[in-house]
Amino acid sequence: MLKQLRTFKGGFKFKNYPGQAKPILLFAGLPSRIFISLAKNSSAEVKPLVKKGDIVFAGQIIGRDDANILSPAYSSVNGIVEDIKLPTDPQKENPVIVIRSSDTSQQIRPLGGCLSSWQKLNPEKIKELIFLSGALALPVDFSKKITQIIIQETAAEPYNHSLDLILEGKNTLNFIEGINILKKIMPSAQVHLAISRQNKRIISEIHKLTAHLDWLDVCIAESKYPQGSPQLLLPAMLKKKIPHGSSPADIGVALLQAEEVIAVYEAVTSGKPFIEKIVALSGPCFKENIHLKVRLGAPLNEILEGRLKTDEPVRLVLNSLLIGQELKGMISPVDKTYSQIIAIADNREREFLAFLRPGSRRDSYSGAFLAHWLPWVKKSVDTNQHGEERPCISCGYCQEICPAKIIPHLLARYVRKEIIDEALISYEIFNCVECGLCSFVCPSKIHLLKHIQEGQKKLLAEGYHIKA
Amino acid sequence: MKIVKRGVKNLYSLLGKNKYLNKFRPVLNALDEVFFGTDKVNTVPHITDHLDVKRFMTMVIIALAPVVLASVYFWGLRVLAVIAVSYIFGGLTEVAFAIVRKKEVHEGFLVTGLIFPLILPPAVPLWMVAVGVVFGVIFGKEAFGGTGKNIFNPAIVGRIFLSVAFPRIMSVNWQAPFSGGWGGFLHYQNVDAVVSATPLVLFKNQDILTPWMDMLFGTSAGCIGETFRIGIIAGGLFLILTRIIDWRIPLTFLISAPLFSLIGNTFFHAHLAPPAFQLLSGGLLLGAFFMATDPVTCPFTKLGKWVAGILLGMLTVLIRGFSGYVEGAMFAILLVNVFTPLIDSVVLKLRYKTK
Repeated sequence: MLKQLRTFKGGFKFKNYPGQAKPILLFAGLPSRIFISLAKNSSAEVKPLVKKGDIVFAGQIIGRDDANILSPAYSSVNGIVEDIKLPTDPQKENPVIVIRSSDTSQQIRPLGGCLSSWQKLNPEKIKELIFLSGALALPVDFSKKITQIIIQETAAEPYNHSLDLILEGKNTLNFIEGINILKKIMPSAQVHLAISRQNKRIISEIHKLTAHLDWLDVCIAESKYPQGSPQLLLPAMLKKKIPHGSSPADIGVALLQAEEVIAVYEAVTSGKPFIEKIVALSGPCFKENIHLKVRLGAPLNEILEGRLKTDEPVRLVLNSLLIGQELKGMISPVDKTYSQIIAIADNREREFLAFLRPGSRRDSYSGAFLAHWLPWVKKSVDTNQHGEERPCISCGYCQEICPAKIIPHLLARYVRKEIIDEALISYEIFNCVECGLCSFVCPSKIHLLKHIQEGQKKLLAEGYHIKA
Repeated sequence: MKIVKRGVKNLYSLLGKNKYLNKFRPVLNALDEVFFGTDKVNTVPHITDHLDVKRFMTMVIIALAPVVLASVYFWGLRVLAVIAVSYIFGGLTEVAFAIVRKKEVHEGFLVTGLIFPLILPPAVPLWMVAVGVVFGVIFGKEAFGGTGKNIFNPAIVGRIFLSVAFPRIMSVNWQAPFSGGWGGFLHYQNVDAVVSATPLVLFKNQDILTPWMDMLFGTSAGCIGETFRIGIIAGGLFLILTRIIDWRIPLTFLISAPLFSLIGNTFFHAHLAPPAFQLLSGGLLLGAFFMATDPVTCPFTKLGKWVAGILLGMLTVLIRGFSGYVEGAMFAILLVNVFTPLIDSVVLKLRYKTK
């Protein structure tokens, strides 16, 4: 079934940002060392199965904890365990296994019991293969809990990985097989694809291949930020709201990306553990904007060596320019959450009479710059604040752009004055989807998102409860 | 650019050496910020909109440029002196407060300092401009804590103060505009011209309706910046299209004012002028596009904006028709400014009550 996804009020279309990753895939090369974190989420971690000096192979399980049913940790290279670093401060750091790579073979040992004609496998075996491969970051008893699967490729960020690349060639078929596999182990689940309008070819291809399936629909999504936010996607697609502080899985929804579905297919049919990730290199500060196939655990400095422009200071950001985390120091290892690395200029240059320029490349929500009227011109992108902090003038931009229909400047005013009470809750502070657009758009450069988050934290600390 | 950079640097070092001069640091900071953008970088989000308050205010000034140019044409080069006095004295007041408060100088004044002279009669004495703008900035803005905290539009506070304090000069002394040739570009002031009356005065006293073409293209008497109405409309539309001002207040104001005057005109023919005349006379258009929309002093809720616009139209027509004053738009805006917090809080209560 082909559907139009109901869009939302507010939001912003980021258009024509320079340096979108092209649909080209290169192998990043084997890292000389990998760093595998044993923490699976904030509260749980797997136990190491190896010790210092052990020889491991690519795809070997080096940490698991079946008692708490967490998906296992893998080595992504053939090599020797160099160290097991236990954290000095367990609150902030995670235990990490360091493995030195010892040979240049790109072979990955397959998991036992896989079958290319997967239909013959029983659901229990399929579940075991998916669990062992680490393809899905879901609780293991997912098959009972999950009633809805959303596969989202909404491409609404300023930079997006290329879906054309991920579903290249046979991968479209594999992707659909992957969905069939998921349906087999979760027979009661409905599957929904949310794909950005720009991917016309992919939408029509998938529609052709899946039109006969009554449990699957394809939603065409506007590429308006933050369409990918679960708090907006779920109400639009399923008319379900996520309560503040819970995850989609808590209300029976699995939120997946196309790459994960293909990983499921590969795990079940060819036994491939999920130890390679496609990472897009986006942004104007890369010499080439391409995609890299990266072994998990590889440190950033090895992957990015020689790939960054060196003529100006660069800031690296993970996944999203709006809410992504800054990758400082280039040492953090790649994990499953990486889908793109964005490099933009860390621009501390002071620009002469910046506010008087016509601004044919300056992106703005307002029409105050020429760029607004020349949508085909590539925008400039850097980390400069583009203006001094000023008092709020109630211009209303944050309120208009907010996809959650709250009034950020009103909330921020309360939080700044330390008025933390029911008023904040009644003004729906907990409806915030944390998309960061309010901070982005503010002409007075006020950190509205930070104030809202601070307000939420203080409210919870003072014992206020969120009304559902 | 390098010269400016060196100049600013020298001034900073001068300020650093002298304890007394150091108090003027906010002025130099402001100057520095005007010439050079910020070197601050974002945290999260990593990118921000290029629009800042400086650009925001610059856009309003750009939108007013045709009006300013036309006003020089109609009233002579003296207009430039009036604007200069307004900027200088208003700016000094702003700076004085910044120094005493040890805060930065803010950009909001750039707009106030330009709008204020535009709502004064062309013959206004220069000393009065200074008194008015100082009063407006102090009691309209700084008394409340500066930009962003004021309840009233400072330009209107200054103007109303002058109207109340010097009613004769402010309401009788009207010049006739220059017309033809180079107009006022080559004259300081239209001294020979017969002192005439504004369309609103003519209607109130003699029941004369000025032709709408004269009112639209500026060849009628009135305040410095309110008569070139075609330019005001163009500037207002420009601001709406660039999203600097919200369309709701101008739209509702410009619909409700003629609507109420239509109703009024049917019942009180002698007091209330017909709709088209109301729309094109006095400071209504300038007020609707450039003053009622001041984001700080108008309601921030959308419904509140509709309410404010309707109130503005109604009050303007009522004050024009039934009070001792001929012009009602300024008073209407001031009155609605008073109600803004109330309107907002009622709208918020309505919107968030049920949950």
